[in-house]
Amino acid sequence: MEAVEKEIRNDADASIMPIEIGPAHPAMHGIVRFTTYIDGEEIIDMIPEIGYLHRGFEKESENSRWIQITPYTDRLNYVSPILCNIGYSMAVEKLFGIEAPRRAEYTRVIMGEISRITDHLTCVGAAAMEVGAFTFFLWFIKAREYLWELVEQVTGARLTTNWTRFGGNANDIPDGFLQELHTRLEQTKDILKECDALLTRNKIFIDRVKDVGVISKEDAMSFAFTGPMLRACGIPYDIRRSDSYSVYDDLDFEIPVGTVGDCFDRYLVRMEEMWQSISIIEQASDKMPAGPVILDDRRVSFPDKKEVYGNIEGLIDHFKMVMDGHQPPLGEVYMPTEGGNGEVGFYLVSDGSGTPVKCRVRPPCFNYVAAMPYICKGEYIADIVPIFGSVNMIGGELDR
Amino acid sequence: MELKVKTVKRVDGFQEALYLPAIFNGLKLTVQHFFRNLLGAKDVVTIQYPEEQRPVSPRWRGRHRLTRREDGFLKCVACYMCETICPAQCIHIDAGDHPDFSIEKYPVVFDIDELRCVFCGLCVEACPKQAIRMDTGVIAMAYSSRKRFDYTRDLLKDTYTPNQRTKYTNIPLPKTEDEALPNSRGIPSS
Amino acid sequence: MDVLIGILLIPTVQAVLKIFVIIFALVMPLATVLTLMERKWSAMIQDRVGPNRANIPFLNNFRGRGALHIAADGLKSFFKEDFIPEGADRFLFTIAPYFGFAAAMATFAIIPFAGPIGDFTFQITDVKPGLLYIFAITSLGVYGTVLAGAGSNSKFALLGGTRASAQMLSYEVFIGLSLLGVFMVYESTQISVIVNGQNTYWFGNLIPKWGVLTQPIAFFLFFTAMIAETKRAPFDAPEGESEIVAGYFLEYSGMRFAAFMLAEYIALVGVSVLVVTLFFGGYHIPWLHLWESAPQWLVSLLQFMKFTIFTFFFCWLQLQIRWTVPKFRFDQTMALGWKKLLPVALGNVVVTAFIILIAN
Repeated sequence: MEAVEKEIRNDADASIMPIEIGPAHPAMHGIVRFTTYIDGEEIIDMIPEIGYLHRGFEKESENSRWIQITPYTDRLNYVSPILCNIGYSMAVEKLFGIEAPRRAEYTRVIMGEISRITDHLTCVGAAAMEVGAFTFFLWFIKAREYLWELVEQVTGARLTTNWTRFGGNANDIPDGFLQELHTRLEQTKDILKECDALLTRNKIFIDRVKDVGVISKEDAMSFAFTGPMLRACGIPYDIRRSDSYSVYDDLDFEIPVGTVGDCFDRYLVRMEEMWQSISIIEQASDKMPAGPVILDDRRVSFPDKKEVYGNIEGLIDHFKMVMDGHQPPLGEVYMPTEGGNGEVGFYLVSDGSGTPVKCRVRPPCFNYVAAMPYICKGEYIADIVPIFGSVNMIGGELDR
Repeated sequence: MELKVKTVKRVDGFQEALYLPAIFNGLKLTVQHFFRNLLGAKDVVTIQYPEEQRPVSPRWRGRHRLTRREDGFLKCVACYMCETICPAQCIHIDAGDHPDFSIEKYPVVFDIDELRCVFCGLCVEACPKQAIRMDTGVIAMAYSSRKRFDYTRDLLKDTYTPNQRTKYTNIPLPKTEDEALPNSRGIPSS
Repeated sequence: MDVLIGILLIPTVQAVLKIFVIIFALVMPLATVLTLMERKWSAMIQDRVGPNRANIPFLNNFRGRGALHIAADGLKSFFKEDFIPEGADRFLFTIAPYFGFAAAMATFAIIPFAGPIGDFTFQITDVKPGLLYIFAITSLGVYGTVLAGAGSNSKFALLGGTRASAQMLSYEVFIGLSLLGVFMVYESTQISVIVNGQNTYWFGNLIPKWGVLTQPIAFFLFFTAMIAETKRAPFDAPEGESEIVAGYFLEYSGMRFAAFMLAEYIALVGVSVLVVTLFFGGYHIPWLHLWESAPQWLVSLLQFMKFTIFTFFFCWLQLQIRWTVPKFRFDQTMALGWKKLLPVALGNVVVTAFIILIAN
């Protein structure tokens, strides 16, 4: 970067042109700024600048009780909020040393995989729109609407879900939900098939994404890639299998991996992951046991409303839980989960009081955006669009 | 379970190089959509707001309401639990003495700044008296001044009307206010 | 009265009147309606409704299912602030939109819209080198984008303008090469001769010798090259929209922007009109000549309707293609042209020459 700047300053008619692909730009979803130095159409260097959506998640968490942080986690990866909710709740459960009941875990898996599908629909749809396939994007948004309606049925909101609690979930799936789920999944499958026919074998699209933004396995690992970006390079690393949590051990699914590590592989990996998620949801809904959806442990959950209205112990427990907050034991924990975009990890430090000492989230797309200059050097300026689209930068997650 | 890996297939052969077959396939799809929607708008998913409103589920967290007892007074006893648990600190309560000794307190001032609210629903879970609910079904409030968003106690008083605007036939509507309670233990009601 | 008829019989006056009628009664309404139809048809493909809200308040909120958006868009462009960016070359910035406008309109000068009634042709003028005139006029359109790109003091616009110039110049070559085949088959560059040549039949009155049947490859090439020339999707890299936000017309606002947009839609209509004329028989309805007793005015009317319907179909097809297919990257546009279309075009010329040689 310094060399480039020096060259521009020394040579008055250098052919290197700095161009701002600025924060307000159609292709910079989320918000990020790239100062690109181009020579004709080729990128010589690129400087990413992030932080336009920084809202102080960690600092805010230091002043909140543990339960009050759950709404903040929705807004981290706001296209797959339930996966962030799950990650955070599982981290706190690890701190407490408890496990949620089986039914809660199965419903978490179902809702989490629905969230994962919405994440991939948004990512692939937006990337396709910027490459020029507007119809593809809008059909995917239609599918996403169906899924968001499902999420709303269960959690009460489409995006700011705030659904998981420590030791389980806030509420159970309503009656008739599984039927509705099945119908909507069939509609989503139809849309996925249609959109696949529209784009996957289209040479115009293949030319746009094939061998564009290639990153090798070694480089991807050295940048600490995880998630679909790493799987597209050929490394079958999925936390649902390698560091298995929740009930993923009982569910049978495949990990799609690519070979080359270009944008085409990432697109294909994400499309295939959607099919795998649909299969996981179907298996989980078949295997769902009956039972409670939250642990009846007074350290972590509010008492049942009947107890609160009925007897004084329930009321006191409820009161203490609200006023003092949850008080996990002294310790620190790191819980990695497979978010929509890669490994979403929560590092929590507790000192036994009602507020955390530290609550850090590991954003998967931080590494991808950090690797953007490395990937984009030598590519054309028009290639930034499919590369950045396949990176799936979520501003809320990146800047927290 | 063991790790099952599936390598994605990159198809880029002779048929793709001809350009036209994939374009014709795509055209076939879009033309199908075009004619289906031209003669009848069957697949169109647009809602003509504000004449039609989007149907919301019974659990939709909309604007708050304070519930009443049978005799018409508010159920709220100004215990400050919702104010404590609110992550956005948008609820402000001032308690006052209630003349009836069995109901010791009532809220003289109960303000919610709906602009600060993040619509998380924790206040509903925290309330021990089922006094504050978010089931009005109001999707969004749109005013042209910030002052309008400060909802005082009298603006929040409301009675329960089952939210009929859901279009899902499989999921039954709650018939009574008790049925519409957020189920904190999650045992299915059926 | 006699003086009036005398004036009307002067060919120049007739040509000027034809210009007015064709431009104001046919081309401009069609182009303007297409601006709305683009949005409505794209909405129908994408399972939504499209614009339908513009209304007239004092006429009981009459909406007309979105038809009023045409007027609304025009009025909006009219009232927007018209500014020229600091550092931009004022003269070039100002004249740039009108090159594309003029070039697009000028293609209608040689197109026959219906069969002649007696001495009166429905063609503004019938120059001998008709096809060459088309090449020349499309070349003029390049100036508009290049001046817009270079004259706005903006890097994105410069990128767009550079891309546009390279793309438009190279695809003119392919227009020429594909039309070379047409020239060889119909043995003339004069448009009326080409159109009348498509009224002849093989196997005696069975299959009309339409351009698409005599030169199918040239049809695909010409259609592709003209879509690239008018910078419509999938060849709208100069217009960018994702990476360079709006390309060469980034800094334009208000009526100047509307001029660019309108020029694009008029060019769209021009492409359709050219395709119909050169490849789909122009105004000739096949086998209509078998109906001997048809009155002349009815024949002309039917021919005009056929022409309009086919033009409308090709406009629709271009819009449909835009919403189906992703965009090319700029260097892929050039690679497609020079590495793939050029050999095909030359091959087409060779094969056509061969077949003509054998057939004679």
